[in-house]
Order: sequence, then structure tokens, then C-alpha cells
Amino acid sequence: MRLGLVIDLRRCVGCNACTLACKQEHGTPQGIHFARVVTREVGAYPTAKRTFLPVLCNHCQEAPCAEVCPTGATYIRPDGIVMVDNQKCIGCRACAVACPYMNRHFIEEGLLQNGRGPRQLTAFELVKFASFEEGTMTKCTLCAHRIDQGLEPACVVTCPTECRIFGDLEEESGRLQTLIRERGGEPLLPECNTRPSVYYLAE
Amino acid sequence: MRATTIETFTIAPHRFAVGYYRQTWWNWLIGSAFFFGEIGAGLFLISSLTGHWLGMAVGYLIVMVGKNSAHLLYLGRPARFWRAAMRPHQSWIARGIWATGVFAASGFLVLFPRFLEPYWQLGAASKAAIGVLAGFSALFIMFYDGFVMKASRSIPFWDTGLLPVLCLTYATLGGTTLALTLRELRGEAVPAVLVNAEYLLLVLNLVLLGVYLFRMSRWTLAARESVRLLLHGAYAFAFLGLVLLVGLMGTLALSLVHHWMQWTWIVVLVAACELTGDFALLMVLLKSGLFSPQTAPAYRM
Repeated sequence: MRLGLVIDLRRCVGCNACTLACKQEHGTPQGIHFARVVTREVGAYPTAKRTFLPVLCNHCQEAPCAEVCPTGATYIRPDGIVMVDNQKCIGCRACAVACPYMNRHFIEEGLLQNGRGPRQLTAFELVKFASFEEGTMTKCTLCAHRIDQGLEPACVVTCPTECRIFGDLEEESGRLQTLIRERGGEPLLPECNTRPSVYYLAE
Repeated sequence: MRATTIETFTIAPHRFAVGYYRQTWWNWLIGSAFFFGEIGAGLFLISSLTGHWLGMAVGYLIVMVGKNSAHLLYLGRPARFWRAAMRPHQSWIARGIWATGVFAASGFLVLFPRFLEPYWQLGAASKAAIGVLAGFSALFIMFYDGFVMKASRSIPFWDTGLLPVLCLTYATLGGTTLALTLRELRGEAVPAVLVNAEYLLLVLNLVLLGVYLFRMSRWTLAARESVRLLLHGAYAFAFLGLVLLVGLMGTLALSLVHHWMQWTWIVVLVAACELTGDFALLMVLLKSGLFSPQTAPAYRM
């Protein structure tokens, strides 16, 4: 089994619902976004337009972050999800430097003391921040806790245009492989040879 | 007017924008750790080859105190540092930890062999073996930083086998300069081989830097942008001024002046120039590292 996503760029409207759903699901500290939508402007007046590229951890099968990790804190689950064991992480940030997709996040000292509220952490933050540890790395888990319960990742169920399709990339006749074959799906930065589990369908 | 698609990139101001992303994770503390490791191990090795106990002791201290402190200060969880030695088969950082550990033990025994004598009566062969071990671990510390950086394939500017070579030659140059300085300041005779090695290494480093930049200027877009940052961009002053002018040209000029005039105080200036260039090079290499823009054929970029 190799869980992954296919993202249909023709459907993405850049609403950032995935960004917010992820933030809500994981309760990440300020400035840390596991999912985000990269925006750029192309063309020139009068045909200028904005294009959107939703990005998240690519859960690479040849994950450079796992290769360089000196402690084994970054590991790949049997279903292909790349995880971080923050009890083993020493905060050397080698994984962040090695990830070509910039999808590793470091929890700075003091970050978990500051919530959105003016004085103290909210009840929501107290619960969610308990899964993070200062001085260590964190990243998208593809909502492994939801997958283990038979649910889809939060970004997938939230997307209003259904541009994210979740499934098993190893199923040859599955929906993901069919879409990749029929519409020529490609991963980001294929030249990095990381074998990502997130594919993009052309606009 | 016909619309055209803009395909050039600039440095992205934040992670929601497209462009080159700066490497901001490894900062001056990592630069300092690399610097102390290189010059300390270089000094230890050069001094052991020329039979200078004080140079070996100073080099040992620079590695043990300077390099290790900088690493520990940088780590998010320094109390767990020992975990970094767990995967030497895969990680260059883990290999570096092992080499530093071997260097700490063997270097100490080489410097203070009498600590062994009450317990073990070591023969000459055993002592020589410990010396060789200390020398090889020092050599490893001199160049493994280059492999640590090269292992991060995400930064094209570092993705070259020239980087470990550059680290090694710079470490040798730093070690040679410090060894010369120590001998001069103590009024000891300076072996001619050290003086000649200094000149040779200065020229060699200049050539290697040129080859490195030439190679990178024909590599990926991100690597070319890194070269641009060094030659014309934000780090031009540090690279052209500190690395090339002060670190290599200044060191070479002052070394020649010292050779002719024999003024002892100039060696302090020579060392200051060389070490400035050495540290500046590591810092600009770290800071000019750029991640490629998030592109994909599907994204039409």
C-alpha cells in the first residue's frame, strides 16, 4: 500500500480551505502550515491571471528527509506516510534543509507558549499543542490519525472543489492511477528523484 | 500588445509565494561549528605531521570546545545529542559524530600518553596506531562538512563533489596558517615545507573556488541564482571582499611581505585575514543556498 494524493489544478480556486482545515485539524502553532496554496501571477495585462498550487508534504518514497536524519526520528510507515517521532528528534534541522519542497517545520523555543489569545492558551490550543514539542521538527502526517480510523485527510474532505483525490497509488486500476495515466499526472520537482506520493494534474 | 508568460523567478518573500526559497535553517552557529571543526582538525593534523605538540593541543581544543559547543548551542534538543550517532550507515551527521568521538579519545591519548601508562604498558606500535587513528579522524572532520551539505540535494548550489574538496583544502590552509603563526609567535624555526604549502594552498583554493563557481553557473536555475548572489547580489561584499580579497589575496600578499621583511607581527595579520576568509566562505555558502521554485510540468512552469 502507498497512500497518496492526486491534485487537480484545473479545479483549484485558491480558496485556502485546505490550509485552514489542516490548521484546524492539527492545531499547529503560529506560522506553521502543513498545507498551503502557493500563488503566482502569470502573463501580462490584459491576459494576466493568478494560478494556484496547493502544496503539502509529498510523502516521498525516497524521502531525502528520512535519508539525512541522523537519529531515525523521521521514518516511513508501511502505508507510505512519512512521519516524525518527536521523542527522537534532536532539532538539527538537516531534514528541513534536505526537503526540496520546504515542507518541514521547526518548533522554535517559546512558540508553544504563545497562542492566538491575548493572555493564555485557549482550551483548543492546550489540547492541540500537547502533540508538539519545542526544539523539534514537525510536518504533515497526511492525517495519519484520521486514516487509522478509516477517514480521509482533513484537506481532502474540506476541499469545496474536490480537487484533492486521496487513495492508494499502488492500485493499478484505482482512481489515482487512472487519473495519472489519463491526464498525465506529474509530481513536483521530478528531477529530485524523490518518488513523491502527491501528483498534480495539469491546468 | 501580445501577452507573454513570465518564467523568471525572484527570491520568494514567504512560503505562499513562488520563487527561490532561501536556506534559513542552518545559521551562523552551524557556520561556526564547521569553521572550528575545519581549522582545529587542520591545525591538529598539520602539527602532528610536523611534530609540534602545542599546535596539536590548540587544534584539539578548538575542535573540542569550539565545534562541539556551537553544535550543542544550535540543536533544538541538545540533551539528546547522543541520538545523532545512531545511523552512521546513512547519515553524514552521524558519521561526523563518530569521527569527533574517535578524535576526542585518540587525540587526548596522543597529547597526553602518560594518562595511559599507569594502567597499560603500550608498545610503540600501539601508540603509533592511536596516532594514526587521531590523524584519520582529524582528516575526516576536515572534509565531512562538505558531505553534510552535499547530502542536501534540495539545494543545487551544494550538490557537487567539489564541496568536500573545498572544505578539505580550506581546512588544510587554515591549519597550515595557524601552525605557522604559532611557531612564529614562539620564535621557533618554521619548516620551509609549511611556508611553501601555505602559498600552494592559497593558489589552489583560488583555483578551486573559480572552478566551483564556474560549475555552478552552468548548473540549475537555483544554483545560478546562488552564484549571482555571490558575485553581484546580497553576498557580493562578503564573497568578493572578505573571501577573495581579504581571505586569499590579502593572506597571500601579507605572507609575501612577511617572507621578505621577516616582521613577526605580520603573521598575526596573515592569520586574521585567512581565518576571516575561511569563516566568510562557510557563511556565504550556507546563506546563498537556495531551494528551487516549486515547479512541475503539470503547473506549466
